[in-house]
Amino acid sequence: MTEKAIEAKKKGQKKSSEDYTYIGMVFHRLTRHKLAMAGVFMLIFIVLFVFVGPLIWRLDPNAQIEGLEGLFNPASRAHPMGTDDYGRDVLARMFFGGRISLFIGFASAISSTLLGAIVGLVAGYYGGWADNILMRFTDAMLSIPTFPLLIALASVFGKGVWQIILVIVVFGWMVDARLVRGLVLSLKEQEYVEAARAIGASANRIMWRHLFPNTLAVLIVSTTIGIGGNIIYEASISFLGFGVQAPFASWGNMLQNAQQFIWNSPRLIIYPGLAIFMTVLGFNFFGDGLRDAIDPKLKL
Amino acid sequence: MRDYIIRRVLGMIPLILIVMIVSFGIFSLVPNPFAALIENPRIKKADIQRLIKAWGFDLPWYLRFFKWFSGVIRGDWGPSLLYPGSTARDVIARRLPVTMRVMGLELLVSLVIALPIGIISAVKQYSMTDYVVTVFSFLGMSMPSFWLGLMMMMLFSVVLKRPSGVPLLPAGGIITPGLEQAPFWVKLGDRAQYLVMPVFVLSFLSIGYYARYMRSSMLEVVRQDYIRTARAKGVPERSVINKHALRNAMIPIVTLIALSVPGIVGGAAITETIFNIPGMGSLIIQAEIKADYPTAMIGLMLSSVLVIVFNLVADIVYAWVDPRIKYS
Amino acid sequence: MDNREVLVDIKNLRTFFYTEDGVVPAVDGIDLTIHRGEVVGLVGESGCGKSVTALSIIRLIPNPPGKIIGGEIFFHGEDLLKKNEEDMRVIRGDKISMIFQEPMTSLNPVYTIGDQISEAITLHQKIDAAEAKKRTIEMIRLVGIPEPERRFSQYPHEMSGGMRQRVMIAMALSSNPDLLISDEATTALDVTIQAQILDLMRGLQKKLGMAILIITHNLAVVAEMAETIAIAYAGKIVENASAKEIFKSPRHPYTYGLLQSIPKFTEKKTNEPLPAIEGMVPSPYHMPKGCRFNPRCPFATEKCREEEPEILELTPGHLVRCFHPIES
Repeated sequence: MTEKAIEAKKKGQKKSSEDYTYIGMVFHRLTRHKLAMAGVFMLIFIVLFVFVGPLIWRLDPNAQIEGLEGLFNPASRAHPMGTDDYGRDVLARMFFGGRISLFIGFASAISSTLLGAIVGLVAGYYGGWADNILMRFTDAMLSIPTFPLLIALASVFGKGVWQIILVIVVFGWMVDARLVRGLVLSLKEQEYVEAARAIGASANRIMWRHLFPNTLAVLIVSTTIGIGGNIIYEASISFLGFGVQAPFASWGNMLQNAQQFIWNSPRLIIYPGLAIFMTVLGFNFFGDGLRDAIDPKLKL
Repeated sequence: MRDYIIRRVLGMIPLILIVMIVSFGIFSLVPNPFAALIENPRIKKADIQRLIKAWGFDLPWYLRFFKWFSGVIRGDWGPSLLYPGSTARDVIARRLPVTMRVMGLELLVSLVIALPIGIISAVKQYSMTDYVVTVFSFLGMSMPSFWLGLMMMMLFSVVLKRPSGVPLLPAGGIITPGLEQAPFWVKLGDRAQYLVMPVFVLSFLSIGYYARYMRSSMLEVVRQDYIRTARAKGVPERSVINKHALRNAMIPIVTLIALSVPGIVGGAAITETIFNIPGMGSLIIQAEIKADYPTAMIGLMLSSVLVIVFNLVADIVYAWVDPRIKYS
Repeated sequence: MDNREVLVDIKNLRTFFYTEDGVVPAVDGIDLTIHRGEVVGLVGESGCGKSVTALSIIRLIPNPPGKIIGGEIFFHGEDLLKKNEEDMRVIRGDKISMIFQEPMTSLNPVYTIGDQISEAITLHQKIDAAEAKKRTIEMIRLVGIPEPERRFSQYPHEMSGGMRQRVMIAMALSSNPDLLISDEATTALDVTIQAQILDLMRGLQKKLGMAILIITHNLAVVAEMAETIAIAYAGKIVENASAKEIFKSPRHPYTYGLLQSIPKFTEKKTNEPLPAIEGMVPSPYHMPKGCRFNPRCPFATEKCREEEPEILELTPGHLVRCFHPIES
């Protein structure tokens, strides 16, 4: 804390905006943002649900109850969310499905952000024909409509968790690439870059040591919001039959499975969909609040 | 301006080429494109051989690309493997209007609802209205469309029924079988009931986005110095918003709309699939799943080309609407 | 004593800002009088409350977070703070006009300057569009812009900063107001352009006879233009006298310090550094106890640190807020 802040505290006055560090400021603004905090709570709940749940509720998500009576059971003490079309406990599948969906969302968001950042850094810093080629390629990829591209890639790469992550990353790096490139182009002109170059810093060093940290704020926001979007992509891909395969559960493929049973067992649709919805909502609220906290100009 | 357009059009060419190569490339990674046909007992071996030869699948990939490329340019878009006997072009021609109807309606509905609430939300920032609109926008943006679609289907087709026992709203399709030749008004009324749910599901998402963009654009504009000048001049608040602010705030929105137009043609794949709508989106997905690669490649390529073209349209519209922009 | 009619009489104006980080007493008890046709300068450093005073007069304080919580502003005998919004709107741009600091952003980029000036005219005068256009062109000529007919259809971005400020002046004076408030109108301009604009304002003042409230931090500007000068510090007026008096015999230590810090050509060259007032303007969240200037005042005593001085008329027409004013 600064001296003034210490003095102010002694006098019992409130700290004012001049007395915080940068990160402190961001945190302070974030905690004030109602929606962001709502998002954080939702996420904490979901994460606890998904990671701590199975420790308490020890049923095997893939275990099938024998016999026809085991199928499509409504909520009961033994199965709070009922059973599905194979007699499996829905609650347990929700836990494990959640783990997979969250993992996929997170891993793909971070990877595509990193990949995009690298492309953007190189394109923005070197400029010239490298920039031109990279950006043309980026633009072309961006023109291809999301969904068909995802499915096309999925059908080519095959089915499975790692394949989905790969697919989403291949589809998703472009947005961050453009973002970072734009940022780098404006940062590049600032004096500290010139100064670094003047003392003989290598291009690599300038890019990673000087430019990259300044793009971090934007990238963090992008990743956060990206996780939400990617979870929906994963769910969509699994929904169409690609992606996570039986017997493993993901919220997406649980929905796909449940589609045919819309007439007799609507529960199976409500739970996984609701989970996806809440998770994405949580990430969106949080990401938006984070963006407002980092860029104070936007918040009045 | 003319020079700018010419330059941009020339610049589009490499983009389109890349897109074609990517479309083609993705599908050439698949080992045996005709597997599905070969397994189909109703198709003669000789026909399959003919197809293979006609579409160049017996050639190495680079030659095949040129053959495909020249075919595409000439308007020869390949066979449809999903509908043996038709060309991909016929199938697309049949499916396109369906998608355009759904998506066009969706765009209209979304804008009519989203723009005003975005504006109101910005003007009354931090009020309850703003809060509600913001939360609602987030709901829209976070909602998985297929889940919403399924839920709506559950409600309106399974739970709610008409007095006759039939679902309140049909769960899929676009027209009641048998009514294809019915008079215009009957057809219109019939079509309408099929469109309600898909359009609702699609708009729900779009409204969230558009409202949010309109809101942030308005907020940005309302903070500007020239708004303060207008007020200092004595301009009534209503005109400050509708005349001074709106005209500026709409600029980015108009570009956004121009960029959404390709979606009218590309369609929303998953929603079309759930609601069994025979449109472009579901066509591409089905083509990919059922290994109809010629159709899939063309579909992918067409949608992408439209996006590229409308990117240019968006820039031109932007220059037309904002007097500050002068492309030299 | 000034025997012109009193136009504006501000009594004990208090405008506070309620922010997340605390309450900012931007204007805390300002008294100011402007007579018909008088040119009054309001001088002070950034953050001393001068702009807020101006915005308070025409009631354009953004709420939230600002609020005029006390005082009276008499205009032609009526208290503006008691008027409703509709009445204020009639006054703004017609009887009291304001021009702002940033000419680059103070004009609406999507409308021509002709339209914007005409708007100011038609808002307050019952004339048709053609007549308004004629008058607009007159105004454009009056503010010294050549080729007014051509300029009418130009957009703001096609003009330089100096020209845009002239347009602002044209807009502000189009209805021949009683009072023109110029809020740092020349601060953002190059020195030569600044001089031109000031000349223009001086000429127009002689011609049209309106009162001007010049708000600036630049003493040189008021030296040229103002008849009466009020010095503001931390939300209060600390000295108020005729321009001659202020420059010849400043009584408040702050005024004295300001004048000392201006480099002058006529002084003998010494090797001493330019005197500056020690310390910094207090943070609005942490106002010092007692006289707000005491931490920086070389003459401060214990009394200054405990009590706030009232404003006193030391000699006729010369007001000072200080316990130990400097001898004249």
